This record gives sequence, structure tokens and C-alpha cells, in this order.
Amino acid sequence: MSGEGRWQGLYGGLLAAGDPLAMIFLPQERGGNNSFTHEALTLKYKLDNQFELVFVVGFQKILTLTYVDKLIDDVHKEFRDKYRNEFQQKGTLGLLNGTFDFKDDFMRLLRDAEESSKVRAPTVMKTFEQSLKSQKTVKCMIETRGEKPKEKVKNKKNKGSKKEGIEAVTAPGKASAGDKQPSAAGEKEELTKDEILQKNREEFFKRHMKAGEKSRSPKPEAQKEKGKKPRVWDLGNSNAKVLDYSNSATNGSAEACPVEEFDPDIALGDRNREPGRLYDLEYESDDEAEEEKVIQNPSKPSAKKGGLGGMFGMLKGLVGSKSLTREDMDPVLEKMQDHLIAKNVAAEIAAQLCESVAKKLEGKVMGTFTTVTSTVKQALQEALVQILQPQRRVDVLRDVMDAQRHRRPYVVTFCGVNGVGKSTNLAKISFWLIENGFSVLIAACDTFRAGAVEQLRTHTRRLNALHPPESHGGRTMVQLYEKGYGKDAAGIAMEAISYARNQGFDVVLVDTAGRMQDNAPLMTALAKLIAVNAPDLVLFVGEALVGNEAVDQLVKFNKALADHSMAQTPRLIDGIVLTKFDTIDDKVGAAISMTYITSKPIVFVGTGQTYCDLRSLNAKAVVAALMKA
Amino acid sequence: MAGTLEPHLEALRRELPAAGPAVLSVLLALLAVAITFLIWRFVQGRRSSRKAVLLLGLCDAGKTLLFARLLTGRYRDTQTSITDSSAVYRVSNDKSANVTLIDLPGHESLRLQFLERFKAAARAIVFVVDSVAFQREVKDVAEFLYQVLVDSTVLKNAPALLIACNKQDVTMAKSAKLIQQQLEKELNTLRVTRSAAPTSLDGSATGSPAQLGKKGKDFDFSQLPMKVEFVECSARGSKGEEGDADFEGLEKWLAKIA
Repeated sequence: MSGEGRWQGLYGGLLAAGDPLAMIFLPQERGGNNSFTHEALTLKYKLDNQFELVFVVGFQKILTLTYVDKLIDDVHKEFRDKYRNEFQQKGTLGLLNGTFDFKDDFMRLLRDAEESSKVRAPTVMKTFEQSLKSQKTVKCMIETRGEKPKEKVKNKKNKGSKKEGIEAVTAPGKASAGDKQPSAAGEKEELTKDEILQKNREEFFKRHMKAGEKSRSPKPEAQKEKGKKPRVWDLGNSNAKVLDYSNSATNGSAEACPVEEFDPDIALGDRNREPGRLYDLEYESDDEAEEEKVIQNPSKPSAKKGGLGGMFGMLKGLVGSKSLTREDMDPVLEKMQDHLIAKNVAAEIAAQLCESVAKKLEGKVMGTFTTVTSTVKQALQEALVQILQPQRRVDVLRDVMDAQRHRRPYVVTFCGVNGVGKSTNLAKISFWLIENGFSVLIAACDTFRAGAVEQLRTHTRRLNALHPPESHGGRTMVQLYEKGYGKDAAGIAMEAISYARNQGFDVVLVDTAGRMQDNAPLMTALAKLIAVNAPDLVLFVGEALVGNEAVDQLVKFNKALADHSMAQTPRLIDGIVLTKFDTIDDKVGAAISMTYITSKPIVFVGTGQTYCDLRSLNAKAVVAALMKA
Repeated sequence: MAGTLEPHLEALRRELPAAGPAVLSVLLALLAVAITFLIWRFVQGRRSSRKAVLLLGLCDAGKTLLFARLLTGRYRDTQTSITDSSAVYRVSNDKSANVTLIDLPGHESLRLQFLERFKAAARAIVFVVDSVAFQREVKDVAEFLYQVLVDSTVLKNAPALLIACNKQDVTMAKSAKLIQQQLEKELNTLRVTRSAAPTSLDGSATGSPAQLGKKGKDFDFSQLPMKVEFVECSARGSKGEEGDADFEGLEKWLAKIA
């Protein structure tokens, strides 16, 4: 893990992945599965947290090797056992100096794994003559020659096959009932064909004796063609009629429902209300405090009860170095997962996070005087900080300066669902840019929402009042480029950018209409706007109040952008603007959800409606708020 | 306070002789052990504070290979580090002086985390720069260097800084002088843009009040509170994997620091 290549098996020369290997481990925070694809290779990895080792196996993606998991486990065990001493005693210098000649062992293990996967010979498909189907049809025909031909035959087939199916089910130890599959044949070989037929014939005769008995054959599963046997599920032998528990007398008929006594008091509730008036929501903050106290009290006695047992456990943990097992961590992780969800982190992301923390800590040796809870909390905190740390530079001003030098405008596009605060935050960002001396052109590409253009015009007027041209050397710092309503947004954006280039504006801020992520035509339109105009920065505006929806929104937005782009590397969302941050106290989980999904940084945080309410994200503060109980 | 203590002291004084010499000797022994322990911890703390030399830099700059070469002299194939490694390095000419070399990962998501952990113990920092890819990466290099320099702990301790321009064995490598000029220009721009960034969420403006260098003048490495040196080196060495690495400048600097 520390970067030195302990031993590299370049078997077949396939493993030359290099830097993407690191990508395995950062998406380690990204979920529980242990495989990773890079170009033409699939990489499967296994972590040893005790000695800080990583085992990676790479193979061609098109091959589906079934023995890889077993191989990696075997390699792990052998390597660890063989070099256990070195790891434990010699430390880093020993690792650097030591030679780890594992090649022969690896080849041996690989050969074993390959052979073990070949042992299970593929089952040979039975020919038609061998199959029971052919036998059955013929025999059945012979049986029923004297009697009514078609229906009886069908019925008997029904019963016979059903019986056979049931036979199969009750056959000792051979559970699979789908005898359509030839692969199941191997398991049914004990019941030879003759035995089955014998049994069927007996059953058939028995049934034939009991005249009046009607067996309910599974109708929907009944053959549509001769010879096809219905699949008999354990629980699905009954049909809709059997499952219909409703009273046939009352269903669907209006007269059947007895007229209830309509009590207007119950229906209306409050007699004293004035008709037509809408009352406020009554909100008492005392209730909350009471609830908290109530919750705390029951937890205290349980803590006391667990106290004694916990004391012994703690003492055991204090003395000597214990290695963490899954069972130890599970209760703590459950609690942490619930805690995260309570803090507005999307449920599946909280689950994946806890899973990856568990993977990272499994087998790790705890130091003295550390409890499981504290270790897990520490690891979770590190994982959260790591997620919030941007993977690319977040410096907008620097990039604007660069674009300035190349004499072209820096184009920023804002996208998001309805009502998240795109236009408001666009105004805040343009204020910030103007304060830093850059001239801004606002492109009103929201041609749908009523008042969108007017809103931006008002902002422009206000900003110009705050920063008049006289104080900036005679040039207007902010200008609005609009073409009214109903026009094509992508076209307006393109015109705005060329206008900015001609007039020498430093930044172009493109405001788009809000759209739901499920609305395919609108998503296509947005993707087209971004693909055609190639903005420098695509910012997704999301509100901090969103919960699990954030995941869906971002995934669908990214997918739409990727699908409709013509380029090899499509322009995806480059950054996130988190708005309405002042409305949440410490339920800051939305920040985690969003950065987890896109792995792009949160560029700005909006904390209010005035121009100065623009902040940058402080990862440590957010994580502290998240972990706070 | 004294009033409540008095009766307790009285009680103690009365009880101790009564308890007998055995108990007394046990108590004295415990006291001696406690005092020794405290003294030992204190001395340890003094000695081990700030003995570390951190190897920082972007991904793929050559930190881990440099680390391996300094410690063992041999070439190793390396992968991207995802965690730190540390070992004690004995300065070649002076047997008594030794420093702890700590190799930190350079990946963007990990670097700040590990820097946080080790910055307090840093006596010196070696910032490794990939001289070949420098032209492409100058903004990222400058950004990381900026983050290191404005860190409050680093500013307070002012550890010696060495910027090692690695990969000099490649013909297209830039010289140390050129790298110095470019970094100075880039850092000059960065301190303007960084201080103009929107303030942080909880109001504590991290990094923005820390002004690098002097305000009116262009940024220069000599304006920093710590000693900054530039050195060229090559971890791989001109003879490739069999030969030695060329980093006498680095070794000399390490000897000076230790």
C-alpha cells in the first residue's frame, strides 16, 4: 500500500495498469464490490488491512474467469503466511530491502485454480430420444387410444405432467422441478424414466377410478402446445381463483356496499372554524425538546444494563491487540448508517459508505485503549473528508484569468431541476466576479419560465447600480443578453458567446431553464446546449434540502449529457453549487450524496438571498457537523 | 479548598504510619515509577518532536522511488501510493545524525489528509516536482505548494523547504531555475485569486489572511519565512535501473538539515 511494488506478477504481461490502480482505492469509498474495469482489463482486488497489503489480479475483460476470486484468496493466504515474519518484525526498511520471490508459488496456485475450474465437466445435453418428453408423449398416446382423444389427452397430460412435476419436487434431495431444462437432468438421473412412467401410470389409474374427483389443474401453466410441461413452483401451484379471497357477492356491485351512516361531525372535525379560512401550522418548539428528553431517558437505563457486560468487553479490548472482525463492527456500522441517514445522506450512499469502511477496517489490529466505536468513527470521518476533498482544482478565478489571457470569454453553464436557485446564485456569482474585476455577460437561456428574463434584468440593473461603470474605467461590468421567450436556448447561448468575444467580456454566465431529470426532451435540449457550446464549466445547481432525490438527479443529468454528446470524452457536470444551505442546520448530508455520485467538487455554497451570501465549502466543518451526535 | 484538604491530609498523616512499612514502601515505589514515566515521556516528546522530513509532491513525481533510493540505494518498481511510509535515514557522513523520512501519497484526495497528520512533526519538507511534466502541470504544482505554504502550522514552524526537480535524466526536463521562475509567477497569481475566493462556510477564513510574501512586490521565494532551495536530481539515475541515483544535492541538503 505504501507504493513499493512488492512483487509484480506480469503473467501474460497484462498488468500494466499503473495509475488506475490508485483509482481502485479511492473508489474504495465508493462501494462494496471489489472489481474494477479499466480499458480492456478487469481488475479484482483484495485488501489485507492487518499488514496493509493489496492484492490485485488483472485479466482481460472479455474473459470470464470463474476462478479469480478463489485464486486471489489463495494468493493472499500464502503470501501472508510466507512473509508474515518480515511484515511483523522488520518494518519499512525490511520491506524495501527484502526480496519477495513469490513467482513459483503464484504459478502453482494459478495452475491449481485453473484445474479446479475445469473439473466440473459441462453437462452434456441430452438428445431428444433420451429426454423424458419424447418418451412421455408416445406412451401417453398409447395409453389413451381407447378413450376420448383430444381433451382427455390434454387433461391427462396436465395431470400426468403435474404429477411428474410433483414427483420431481418430492424426489428426495432433488429439488429442481423444472424438467424442461436439460441441465437439471443430471440431478434427476436417480429417478429413471421407467420409474417415473410407472408411477405416473399408477396415479393415472387411481385417478381414473375416482370418477367424480376433479383435480384443479394449473390452468395458466397448462400447455399451449403438446408436450410442454408446466413449471411447478413450490409456492405457485395455485391460480388466480384460489388466491381471490374477496367475497364474490359484494365485489363490483354498487348495491352491495351498505350505506354507512355519514357523520358530518367526524368528517368536518372542528365545528368552530370559519368556513373558507386557511389556518397556520401550529408549531411549538417545546415538543421537540420533550421528545429528545424522552428518547434520552430510555437509552440511559439500557446503557446502565449493558454497562457491566460492556465493562468486561472493554477491558478485554484494552488489554492486548484485538483485530477487528465483521461482527464487532456491524452494530456500530448500523448505528452510523442510521445516523448518516438522519443527517440527510441518501440511503444507498450511506449503506455503501459503511460497507467500504467495513472493508477497510476488516482485520485491522486495533491499538490499545481504542474501542471499536472510536476506530469506526475515525475511519468514517476520514472517508467523508476524502469524499469532500476535490479531485480537481476548484479555482474559478484562476481559470478566468487564463481565458482572459487567451482573449476568449470563460463560459459557465448552470443546470438543475426546477426551483433550486439557479438564477439567484447566478446573480451572486456574477457579483463576486465583478468584485474581482471581471466583466460579466449574462445569457438568458431560460426561455420558458415566466419572468425569467425580467428577473435577470432586475439583477443586472441592481449589479450595475452597485458597480457603476465609472468606478471600473468606463466599461459596464455586467450586461444581459436576451432574446425574449420561446426561442431555442442553444442558439441564444451561441450568440451570447460570440457577442461576448466581440465585446471583450471576461465571463459568460448561461442561465438555463429548470427541468426534471425524467423529462427526456428537455434533457436532450440541455445536452445539446452543452455539447454545441462547449462551456468551460458546467455547474449543477442542487439544493441542500434534497434527500435521496439528489442521487437520481445527478445520475440522470450525467447520463443525459453523456448520451447526447458527440465527442469521445463527453462534457459531464464539472462542479456542484449547493444552495439553500442556510435552511438546514446540521443536516448537511446532501453535500456528501452529491460529491459521492459525481466525484466532482462543490464549487460554491449558497447561504441566503443577498449578493454576499456565497461561500466556499469547508470540508472539515461539514464533516464535523455530520458526525456530531 | 485548603479547608477541605486539611482534614484529608490529617487523616492521611494519621493513617500512613498506622498502615505499616510494607504499604509505605509499595506506595513509594509506585510514586517513583510514576515520576520516571513522566520524565521519560517528557524527554521522548522533546526528542521526537519535529524530526521528520516529509516527501511531498504531485502524483507520479517520483517520491516513492526517491524514498527507496535514499534508504536502500536500489531501484524498485513503484505504484501509486495510497498511504504513508516512514523510515529512519542515516546521513552518510555523520553517523549520529538521523532523520525520519516520511513518504506521503500525492493523490489529490489523499494528500491533504496525510499532510494534516504529519505537518506538525516536520522539520523539513522536500517538495518533489516532475521536471518533465512541469509545463503541463504547473498550475497543479503551484496549487499544492501554495496549500502547503499557507498552512498555519507550516508558517509557524517554518521548516526548511527543498524543491527537488526530479526526473532530470530525461532530456526534456526543465532546469531548476526555470521551474523556480515559473513557480514564482504562478504563486504570485494564486495568492491574489485564493485570497479573493469566497469565504469558508463557518466563517473561519482558512488560508485567506495568510499572505504569502510581501504585498506590494511580486512573489519571490526569498520572501518566505523559511529557507527555500532548489536542487536538481534524478531518482532513476542516468544509468537506469542498475546504476545509482543522481542526487548528491539532495543528500547534502539532508546532511545539512539533520
